[in-house]
Amino acid sequence: MAAIKSKNKRLGKANTPNPLQSLTAAALLLPGVMLGVAQAADEDEFSFQYGRYEESHRKLGDVKSQFDPISVDSLQAGSKISLTDRVKFAFNYIQDTWSGATPITTAPSVRQGNQQYQQNNVVAGASPYVETGNGQYVYFDSQLNPLNVDPASVSLAEDVVSLGVNKQLAHTMALASPETRKEGNFKLGYEWDEAAIDVGGGISIEKDYESRFGNIGGRLDFNQKLTSLTGGVSYTNSDTNARMDHDAFGYIDASAYTPKYLKPLDDGTQGHLLSGNRQDWAANLGLTQILYKDALVKFGAGYTRSTGYMANPYKVVSVFFVESADPLANDEIGPFNGVPSSTIPYVGSIKPFLEQRPNVRDQWNFSTGYVQYINPLDAALHFDYRFFHDDWGIDAHTFEADWVQPLGSGWTVTPRLRYYTQDAADFYTPYLISKQPKKSFKQDADDNTVETPYDASKLPAHFSSDHRLSGYGALSGGLVLTKQFAKGLTLEAGFEYYNHKGSFKLGSGGESDYADFSYYTANAALKVNLESVGRAMSGGEHDHHAMHHNHGAPLPAGVMFGHVMTTPGDIMVGYRYMYSRQDGRMLHENEFAADQDIVSKGCNLEPGLTCRTSPAFMNMHMHMLDIMYAPTSWLNLMVMPQFMDMDMKVRSLGGVTPDVNRDHLHGGHETGGVGDTGLYAMFKLYQGAGHDINMGVGVTAPTGTVDIKLKRMHSKDEGYIHYGMQLGSGTWDFKPSITYTGKVDDWSWGAQVNGTKRLENRNQAGFAFGDQLQSTAWGSYSLFNWLSASVRGIYTVQGAVQHQFNAVIGDTSEEGGDATLADMGDVNPKEGSMDNPKNYGGRYWDVGFGLNATIPSGSLAGNTFSVEWLQPVEDDVNGYQLERNGTLNATWSYGF
Amino acid sequence: MKLLLIILPLAVSFTGCAVAPWERGNLAKPQMALDPHPLQTELSGHSHGSREAAGAGGSASGGGCGCY
Repeated sequence: MAAIKSKNKRLGKANTPNPLQSLTAAALLLPGVMLGVAQAADEDEFSFQYGRYEESHRKLGDVKSQFDPISVDSLQAGSKISLTDRVKFAFNYIQDTWSGATPITTAPSVRQGNQQYQQNNVVAGASPYVETGNGQYVYFDSQLNPLNVDPASVSLAEDVVSLGVNKQLAHTMALASPETRKEGNFKLGYEWDEAAIDVGGGISIEKDYESRFGNIGGRLDFNQKLTSLTGGVSYTNSDTNARMDHDAFGYIDASAYTPKYLKPLDDGTQGHLLSGNRQDWAANLGLTQILYKDALVKFGAGYTRSTGYMANPYKVVSVFFVESADPLANDEIGPFNGVPSSTIPYVGSIKPFLEQRPNVRDQWNFSTGYVQYINPLDAALHFDYRFFHDDWGIDAHTFEADWVQPLGSGWTVTPRLRYYTQDAADFYTPYLISKQPKKSFKQDADDNTVETPYDASKLPAHFSSDHRLSGYGALSGGLVLTKQFAKGLTLEAGFEYYNHKGSFKLGSGGESDYADFSYYTANAALKVNLESVGRAMSGGEHDHHAMHHNHGAPLPAGVMFGHVMTTPGDIMVGYRYMYSRQDGRMLHENEFAADQDIVSKGCNLEPGLTCRTSPAFMNMHMHMLDIMYAPTSWLNLMVMPQFMDMDMKVRSLGGVTPDVNRDHLHGGHETGGVGDTGLYAMFKLYQGAGHDINMGVGVTAPTGTVDIKLKRMHSKDEGYIHYGMQLGSGTWDFKPSITYTGKVDDWSWGAQVNGTKRLENRNQAGFAFGDQLQSTAWGSYSLFNWLSASVRGIYTVQGAVQHQFNAVIGDTSEEGGDATLADMGDVNPKEGSMDNPKNYGGRYWDVGFGLNATIPSGSLAGNTFSVEWLQPVEDDVNGYQLERNGTLNATWSYGF
Repeated sequence: MKLLLIILPLAVSFTGCAVAPWERGNLAKPQMALDPHPLQTELSGHSHGSREAAGAGGSASGGGCGCY
């Protein structure tokens, strides 16, 4: 720091009268500080981002899908740290949870792929049909255009009459159950004055897809850092392991994938697993050039070679096997089972095929960009163009313009505009027509009728009706707003609206408007610049801070609300992660429960009900961001958004014959997304020599959804997913706490009582979780000046769930389909032990073992990391519940 | 690759115009960074990548199936 100051003085005198300019110039002159143009300003920082993606409803013609369109909640936390002056380390954790409907296939709208079903003579929704249902026979004219036909002639099985050509297409929408993807990645870099090299890697895991990747890259600055050359190579290896939807799979032709890629599952669920591997090699080169003091330009080129299974396991192509609609015309083929016509030339019988993509893809990218400083406005204009070409026949162009406008007082607003256009892949087709009967019959030598199915080898080798491979254009625009606070804290919020239309395609050949859709994304982010904080606190003040953070008695990771900051204006940012798992045997009160007891007594919500299933295991992950501010020396305010994701596997209870149509055994359940948001105030009640007493009061706002439902399956409605799999409480909850902490020499200790009181009787889904009271006490010993270890005891009492889910009225008949009044009833699941509100809550003893590390000095001083494992000691559960394995708490916090 | 053959001589021809380090104040401003909003870019890039055939760009970095 002193070096900078003295250099400033010298430069200030020698060069320019503007002190700000000379300061910047001085900073740029320092070896290792003068940024190369292609070099990110990689100061040490912590960042956290939440993003939401929400898609519009698709146009399905006259019917409306019962499903909500797809939405995605994304969470990202990352950090960049200088290990030494020249060694940089960055890591990121990313998590996406999605649910909702996407297109599974495309067909002429006369096919009626989204079929309305009725309940008690009222349209209740539309279900996807890929092979059966009305419209499984589509009539075509001599040019093979689909025809509207007189429905009466079909239903009365008379000679079918055409009502004219109808070329309108429609997607068939199918639901994706909630699923979570988790990714971790890192980058390790070494920097010289005019060069850098980095290696990185990571892994991305979701239930049906796992991807591992590594990359190596470098940068070379020359020409006094006016020019930078970058280059890199990356490798990605991905495995698909997709469980095929057993509702649809029986109808789908997947012969191209059997037996090599597709195998039946032997878990009694009638499921199939599609497995494939894919590898991507990519190389890229970039050049950035400073043109003059206000502008720079960049160029890039990249090549990617992808090989292996690149299809989407959930997309099918509708194939129409076309034959004469007049069975008398040619008795060698047919007859089909539908109604014939003497006036219509052709009739097609539908068969869905799993899409088939080539297993090699070569891709090229060329990009250029220009950045111009706009002096009078202190703004910057960014313009980027990218050209993409691949050997699947896709050429794409992307144009993007950003205007970055600082507004003063740390505010910056950036309007962004983007246009994208692509050609269709060679093998893209909304649907396929094959001129052969779906099945034909011949008499063999013994005069027996032999059925011959269609010959799939007459179809093209590759086909897909994924709208992402169609020709279209997309126009999107958005805004990013950032506010930088003096202490190195930056908040960012962004919004983007994206409109995909066939008619936006550059040139002709865009897909027709049935495939149009739009989406928006919104995001909020927080960044803490660890370095600028370190700089701001240089010298004596810094030492004071480090001391301050060492002074507070270390708290076990699972204890919240235990620390009050006493310096007005202080900010603390923290990140908490909690993982808990239930696995093992079922308990009744404090003893193991036999399956037959659970069957007879575990589902006693209604008289006569018995249990069929119970959980085999359940995992819960919780990510919490914790932002605390001290307006005065005795009061701290705290905001704590939470993000949850959970998964559960259900098993059949002993003595019960599994029934895929009743029990939710297939592949487990996942939910995830935004949880409840905590808002707290903490007060310093007493501060004496080595003794502190704090009080916390707060509420959690019901921002987590509590109305997640199971997917409609087997043409049957399903109700709400289990209480414990919902993302929040659904009620406003009052959360008081009181904490005592003490410290003498290397020893510290504490005790806390905290509670949760539901402020409402029931939430919008009809129930309320029980109130909770927890008391805990701990002791901690400092092993070194930076590391301490703790032991803690916890006793928790939680009430059972109050009331129950609102009735979901639907078809309760075994067979499903169009239900009559007699079939209607509450379809909420009640035959699983986790669906009984009485089987929640209990009395729990846990012991916690923790470690707590605080970085005492250096540029990362003030960072605290702690972990704690909570080991269940005794459970006394309400009703019948799965035993607990334990809970891991991990926290990072940083005060400044 | 053809593009590079055009670009490289262009870049070399720029080397004539010197911008002294103390003239680089504007270039060092955050709004002039090659990517002024990397977090936002990553999120919207992930959305674009899962909805467009041209993918997320040159350097692969996992990113999941985007099967939805």
